[in-house]
Amino acid sequence: MAMTRVTWRRELAWAGGLLGLAVILGFMFHWPLVQASLRGNLATLLDQKRQERRELQFQGVRTLDLAQAYQTWQEKRALFVDARKAEEYQELHIQGAMNVPPETWGELASSEMKMDRMRELVVYCSQESCDDALKLAKKLREAGFSRVLAFTGGFRAWDEAGYPADTSR
Amino acid sequence: MSASVKRFVFSILGLGLGGLFVYAGVQKHLAPYEFAEAILAYQLLPFGLVGLVAATLPWLEMVSGFSLTLGYLLRGRQFSNPIPMGSLLRRSALMLILAQSLLFVTVLLITMARGLKIDCGCGLFMDRQVGLGAILEDALLLGVLGWLYWRECRAGGREL
Repeated sequence: MAMTRVTWRRELAWAGGLLGLAVILGFMFHWPLVQASLRGNLATLLDQKRQERRELQFQGVRTLDLAQAYQTWQEKRALFVDARKAEEYQELHIQGAMNVPPETWGELASSEMKMDRMRELVVYCSQESCDDALKLAKKLREAGFSRVLAFTGGFRAWDEAGYPADTSR
Repeated sequence: MSASVKRFVFSILGLGLGGLFVYAGVQKHLAPYEFAEAILAYQLLPFGLVGLVAATLPWLEMVSGFSLTLGYLLRGRQFSNPIPMGSLLRRSALMLILAQSLLFVTVLLITMARGLKIDCGCGLFMDRQVGLGAILEDALLLGVLGWLYWRECRAGGREL
């Protein structure tokens, strides 16, 4: 049988069909997401889902909001731990915070983190949506630090509130 | 390089890329809300579109990746239908994957130019920030895809 050539028109039609199939499957499987987006409720839905996921994934990790974090900082009750990458920390961080970037999390039990394990620590990352503060807080608890809190608003909330930040190490 | 070796190399490349897109799509499909947050972090789309993209893009990756894989698996198979199904699947899937890769590179370039330090949300093997590494990786992918597509177009339905 003589083979028919694959023409541009046929190729485009098939690509369009595959695209249509992907849209239908995406809408079918993730309708709540699509619906929230169309109704303007996406931010609320994402907050709710993030909360549900974190409650499961980071059970037992205590958290602080912006006001509590600032009060703790003012009273100098805790050491602030910056969980972001070194370059972000160097650019700007909460005044007095120490940097524990993700690549060092495997060595938490050793060298740099040899400090009083009863000391209160407040861990933060870049913003509300990042999980690194919670991840590090969990790891620190596992490494024997008993008073660890995660400031979930992150550096963005701190900076937007105009609280003290600096570039020193 | 002999024709059979060439054919083997192209098949491995095509199957590998198809598998890669299926894998990336599955990762995003399994975590749709995290993917929506990753899209939001780029600050390029209005809220009304973020959910639509987060819902459909993973499936577009899976469907196009699966079609590309299937196209290579059907290579050389004869059907009663005169249309070369393997070639048609490969070309249409490659066209879609090329369009997606172009979109990814453009978005990464815009984000880098704006100085945003965010996770790329690529859905592959590790968390990466938007930066030169991610852009070069996607540019390389784009080059390989372009090469495969050009080869398929040149063949015009014949199995090379």
